[in-house]
Formats: sequence, structure tokens, C-alpha cells
Amino acid sequence: MIERLLEVARRRADGGADALWRRVERTSVAFEWGRLKAAGVAEEAGANLRVRHRGRVGIAGTTADVAPDELVSRALASAALGEEIELAFPARGPLAKIATFFDRAADARLDDLIAMGRSLLGRLEREGCQVNVSIERESADVRVANTAGAAGDYRSTGVAVSADVWRIAGDDVLAVGDAAEGADLPGDEVLARLAATINTRLDHALRIVGPPDGALPVVFTPAGLSPLMLPVTQALSGKAVLQGISPLGAKVGEQVFDARFSLTDDPLRAGRPSSRPIDDECVASRLTPLVEHGVVRRFIYDLETAARAKTQSTGHGERGIFGKPVPGYTNIVVGDAGDVGAKHPLPPPLGGGLLAAITDGLLVDELIGVGQGNVIGGAFSHPVALAYRIERGEITGRVKDAAVAGNAYELWKRVGGFGNDARWAGSRWAPSVLLEGVSVARR
Amino acid sequence: MIDRLTTALQRSRADYTEIRVERTWSTAVTFRGRRLESATASEDQGGFVRALHAGGGWGVASFTSLDRLETMVARAGELSRAVTVDPPIRLADIPPRRADAELDLDGDVRGVALADKKRLIEAYNGVMLAVSDRIVDTLASYRDEVSEYWYVNSQGTALHELRPEVTLSGTAVARRDGTIEKGVESIGLRRGWRSMQNREPGFRAVAERAVALLDAPMVHGGTYPVILDPELAGVFIHEAFGHLSEADFVYENPQAREMMTLGRRFGKPVLNVGDNGAAPGLRGTLPFDDEGTPTQDTALIREGILVGRLHSRETAAAMGERPTGNARALSFRHPPIVRMTNTYIANGTGTFDDLIRDIQLGVYACGAFGGQTMLENFSFTAAYGRMIRDGRVAELVKDVVLAGNLFRTLDRIDHIAGDFRWNQMGGGCGKAGQVPLPVTEGAPHVRIEEALIGGDVPG
Repeated sequence: MIERLLEVARRRADGGADALWRRVERTSVAFEWGRLKAAGVAEEAGANLRVRHRGRVGIAGTTADVAPDELVSRALASAALGEEIELAFPARGPLAKIATFFDRAADARLDDLIAMGRSLLGRLEREGCQVNVSIERESADVRVANTAGAAGDYRSTGVAVSADVWRIAGDDVLAVGDAAEGADLPGDEVLARLAATINTRLDHALRIVGPPDGALPVVFTPAGLSPLMLPVTQALSGKAVLQGISPLGAKVGEQVFDARFSLTDDPLRAGRPSSRPIDDECVASRLTPLVEHGVVRRFIYDLETAARAKTQSTGHGERGIFGKPVPGYTNIVVGDAGDVGAKHPLPPPLGGGLLAAITDGLLVDELIGVGQGNVIGGAFSHPVALAYRIERGEITGRVKDAAVAGNAYELWKRVGGFGNDARWAGSRWAPSVLLEGVSVARR
Repeated sequence: MIDRLTTALQRSRADYTEIRVERTWSTAVTFRGRRLESATASEDQGGFVRALHAGGGWGVASFTSLDRLETMVARAGELSRAVTVDPPIRLADIPPRRADAELDLDGDVRGVALADKKRLIEAYNGVMLAVSDRIVDTLASYRDEVSEYWYVNSQGTALHELRPEVTLSGTAVARRDGTIEKGVESIGLRRGWRSMQNREPGFRAVAERAVALLDAPMVHGGTYPVILDPELAGVFIHEAFGHLSEADFVYENPQAREMMTLGRRFGKPVLNVGDNGAAPGLRGTLPFDDEGTPTQDTALIREGILVGRLHSRETAAAMGERPTGNARALSFRHPPIVRMTNTYIANGTGTFDDLIRDIQLGVYACGAFGGQTMLENFSFTAAYGRMIRDGRVAELVKDVVLAGNLFRTLDRIDHIAGDFRWNQMGGGCGKAGQVPLPVTEGAPHVRIEEALIGGDVPG
């Protein structure tokens, strides 16, 4: 399919071309408010083409049946307006062998997905609460190639299971949810664990207590870490560095964070839906250390950002059917890579063992409005969505009407401790983290 | 196409079947700083089938290859049968409609060369860059689309529409030493090329504001009387209240239903709120929703009392109410779900000055960088603010974050001015993975007697 496209592009564009073709099939089931309500399938296929002509780069994408000549014409029209970029398409190189496709996930029938949902529902049902469950299975075929001879194709599978439990009592609305994602079909132990993490947090949330106030020790759960991670990952994108808006742009080689803080992007992690042997621009995937023991090591780049910054792509080109590639993370790993793969039969207690030393503090699982405003600057101030008070080493109840504020870069300089509960939250692997002196305000 | 879809419908063995097909042409041009980031043309097409067997669940299928139409109609039927729902899903009746509606294309963007679109946005980008040396970065985007839309269902509705949409957006980033501030302009209309001309003043204003914010102090956190400008008031009513009025949140959840009982008091008698999918020319406006129900103006709060909610055919039937034309899908990739269209706080009386006259110390919160509601709590980041001192607008302040509890805040709205306007912004609303759905919000200036402004939270 894309070979023909590239053949035409090679003839008409003097600086080469690359293309991505992706076909995705998805099956989903949805339980709404405790009842199975819908089942669906989706099929989608499309191509994205990039050409370089007279030094200028152009893009065209389509899901329609567009003739190769026509798509190349559109990409050339786009290139005619573009600025010159010294973009070089990579040559063929060796690719890591990783398992991205799991028969069990690909072959699962609708009934299997429904049974998984029912099993999860059964574990979450409780008096006075309503449960939503959704299960989505995806299988994809991806092919990328360029006129410099590089090419790669792979099939992948992914299964996402998510559930949330709602409890409305008067005007108090409580929702506790979680999700498990993997490349393979989750076993019963994954569902049991998912239900247990939701139930534990729900149990602790039933009692409402007054919030603490002041500069306090705060434990952020793996899911609750987002306000602290977003500024750092945005600042480590080569694109932000190139624009001159990254606070970490000039800090390579410097000790910027606590010596126990390390950050890696790992596209080769087994069993993860974001893993892949090759990126969407034909660059072989490899591990990228971003921060090692508190020292900034490198930024992520796609081909264009790398060309502009006069460096090499790190294999982080991410590309949809429409629009041009952008730098994007795959699997972000916080902490030492050695932690990864540790499996607990049951979820560790909330807080990952970090609560014992806290006399008065907060455990934050979710904040409201994360990602709004000037994120890359590091300062954040958010009301809590789901947070618990810690008193004398114990969770005493859920806190409402409180706000948490701080600066991510400052807080990461002095970490009070990492928990023993590292897990995947979306595509991020992280434990709970104890940070000292976080502003907590009552409202 | 309608004939082809009707033939496919006739083969369906489900009790109810609907098919949507969309073909969308779009172009996008983006500048970052002085550099063209991209100029692309895209073509997207595909179909969506939803089927319902009596006693079954929804069977849905989406696809990009129209050759698969007949297969996917059958597949949706099978999926519906595979799911048993008790009590069964019912759909409120609507009269079948046949319509061939061409929305005002206002200068069809498909007839305009990509180079002209580039020139237009390059000029607006240049306006921002020219404001000051302090403007270190900009992001300026032009995006347009025309979507051809076909819809048929097995109850006799057949619709064909051409739906235009254009958006302009600009972000100006000002920097001095370690301080970075931004200003954001955004325009979105269900119109065409002509409406995108002569927009320089808006781009200039946001760049000037970004520079001015470099010198502005951070607002001092605390509780104040707060005036929301029409833009922030519109975002507030959409995010903080609008989502709760979507009936899919309440229809099968007894506790939520109780919380949102019609007749409950939500605010003082000055407060009137509605959603109008039929208001002309706005992004949330269409003649029909994605179930073939005509759009309408739906009252949600009248004189402080909850009087209505937004429905799909399914939620309306389940609650014994009437469909309101709010079942919307982002594209053929998605099922229709209950969504807002153009949501508003209705006009009050008096002027802005009447609102601030008796305020000794307050905050005038303007524009919105973002907002999120989680359950009954919300947090909005205003683009900028001004202090109100002794009944007058005073100095510019930054980092104005408005946070609070929905019920308490709605109840504290005590004065609404008579200066209503629609905020014709780009962007859109997100729900259940369907984002950005084009919506518009509108409001006059609104006063909240007392609200929490979090700038820096004192440690």
C-alpha cells in the first residue's frame, strides 16, 4: 500500500518521502450504571504521507480511497508553502524484537470481554453505589517506510479495562475509578487487583474529615503524580527546548532533582500497549534515559525537531493519519528500572508504606484542573478531587474543600521517599512519592 | 448516497437501525514564531451504524471503508442481539424528517487556495509578533472544514447537510527573564472564509495583554466578590452546571436523579440558564442532532429553579420527558451521546458599572485558559484579572484561579448585567473520549457575592 505511494513520491519529490499506514480494529463493551448497555466494533484505516521537495516539507493524510498520485499532489502543495528544513530520512537499521501482538487478546470473543466486565462488576457492586465498566480491545497493523530504504511493520494488540464507582449522598458526589491497560488480555488477578484498588480507596473515602492546613508532607499516589510529572515531561520535550520555553533546556548534565529521581522513556517494555520496535518515522526504538539520579541527561526528539535542533531523533516520532509527526513519549518509567516487573499478588496498602512517619499530612490521588494554565513553568494550584487526611501514620478519611499548591521543580529537589507500590498509571510507571512542605489550604 | 443508505437499512433485521456517513475536507495552517509549522489538507470519511433489537443493547459499528457498509449493518445487528438489557432500551418518539439542508457556507473554504489561508494566518501572527520585543513566541492556527453529512434511520428520517466550520487561534507568549506570560485569542464559527477576515484587533489585544501581564502582580488568594466577564461566565455555566444537566448522568442513577430533581432551587431568581442548538451561526448550531431530532432552545434554570435537562431519545424515554435535540456525535467514529450545544446564562438588567458600584474590594476575572469540573467541584483559570477597588476597575492581576463548590457558587450569583454576548471561540467540549465537540457559550457579566480566588495558596 505505502510502497506505491512512496514510488510515486520518489518520482515527484526531489528530497524523498516517508509514509505511515495504520489499520485498527476495535471491539468494545460498555456497562453503564451497572448494566451492560452496548457493544461495538470499529474499523479504521488510513495513510499519512510526508514529502520533501526543494528543501521544503509537506504533509497529507487520508482515510478515503485517494489515488497515490492525488495524495502526493496534496503533500507537494503543502510543501510548496513550507519552510526549508534539513530533514534526512533515516536508513534501514536493525530493530529490536519485542512482543507487541498477543493472540489471546486478538482472539478474545465478544462474550469473553462481556464475561470480564461482569466479573469486575460483581467485585465492585455495593449498596448505594453505581458502577460503570468499559472494556476495549484493539488490534492494529502498522507499516512505516521511507525512500531511504528504512521500513518496519508490526502488529499490536491492546486491552483497556476501566471502572468507576459513583456514590451520591445528598450533594456529596464521590467517584473512584481506575484502569488497567496492557498489550495482552488481563488475567483474573489483574481484574481482582483493579477491583481491590478501587474498593480500598472507596472504603477510606466514606468518612469525610476536615482538611489540614499549612506546609505539610503530602504523599502523591502513582495516579496522583500527574501535576508533578507533567511539567517535567513537557520540559524534557525537544520541541519545548527548541522553542526556548523549557526550564530544563540549558540544564543537561546538571543535578536538578533529588538524587533518587530518575526518568526513562522505554518503548521496548514488554506487554505495554505503547511499546513498538520502530517509531512512526522509521527510527528504531530504544531506551532513552531522560534524568539519571537527578541529573538531566537528554530530551526526546522526532526527525523534524531534531533537524532544527541539529541533533538526532531519539525515536519519538508520533504520527496520526492527519497532521505531521510530533515528539511523543511511549512508556515513562519513574525511578530505577530495576523496580519494573515487581508483581504483588494484592495491591499494596494505599500510600505505598510512606504514611507511617507522617503526623499530619495529605494523601493525594486526584486533583482538579491538572494541565491547565502555564504547566511547563512548574507552579501548580489545584483543588482536590480525591484526597485523604493522614494523621499519626493512618488515613483518617476523605478531605473535601482543600487545595494543594507548589512548584514541581522545587518539590522534586527534596523527595521524602518513594513508596513500594510502583504501578502503571496509563503509560507511566511510578510509585507513590512523599514530598515535604507542600502547601495545603482549606477552603 | 441517501438511496444507498436506505437500501442498506432495509436489509437490517434489527428493530431500529440508523446510519450516518460523513466526508470531511479540512485544511490547517499553523505558524509558530515566524516559522510555518505546517500547512496540510486532509480528507476523512467513514460511516457509523447503530442498531437496536427489542430487549437488546446498542450494537454499534464504525468504519472508514464504505465498501463495508452492508457488512457493518449486519454486524451492528448481531452485536445488539448479543447484549440483553432489562428493562429494555426505549426511544422517545420523534416525527420522521426528510431534509436537505445546506448551512450558510459564507464563502466556501474549499474554493480558497491553501496559499491564501497561509497568508491570512501569517498576517494575524505578524500582528502579535509586532506588538513588542517581549513577544518571544507565538502559535497561530487557521483551521477549516466542510463536512458532507448523510443520516438515515429505519423510522423514515433522511437528512443531508453540508456543515462548514472555521477556527482561528492565536497564542502570544511574552517573556522577561524567568517570567513567562501568555495571551490567547480564539474564534470559532459555523461559517466560512468571509467570517475570518479583519480579525487583527483580537490578535493584537492578546499580545498586548501578555506583555502587560509581565508587570502584573499575582492576585492575592482569598475570598472576594467576583465579577465574571461574559467569556468566563459562559465557560463556568457550561463546565460547572451544564454537564450535570445532561440526562445521561442522571437517568439511570437514582441518587443523581434526586440531586437533579426538577423544581430544585439552584440559584437566586436572577439566574436563568438554557441551551440553544438552534441559535443562528454558532458552532454548536445544527438543524438536527445526530438522531434526527430538531434542535431547540431548552430552558434549564428559570428564575433560579431547575426546570429542564438535555436529552437523547433514550434518556427522554427513560425519564418520561421529551427529546431536546442534544444527542451529538463528534464524528462517524462515535455514537451520539447527550451533549450541550450553545449554552448560556440569559441576559439580566443593568450595566457592568451597576455590578461593581458597591464593591470595595473584589476581583474582575476575565477570559478562560481552562476549566475543569469534577463532580460538584470546579476549578477555572482566568486569562487575567483586574482588581476592583472602591467601585472601580483597578490594576491588572495574574494567576487568577476560581475554585469552589458548584451548588454554593451558583447560589451566590446575585446580579446579572444586561450585556449578553455569545463567545464565539474555537476549541470544544470533551466527554467520553469525544473531543473537541464544537460548542458555544454565552453570558452577560455575572456577579458572585463571594468566591474563592486561589492565586498563590499561602503555605
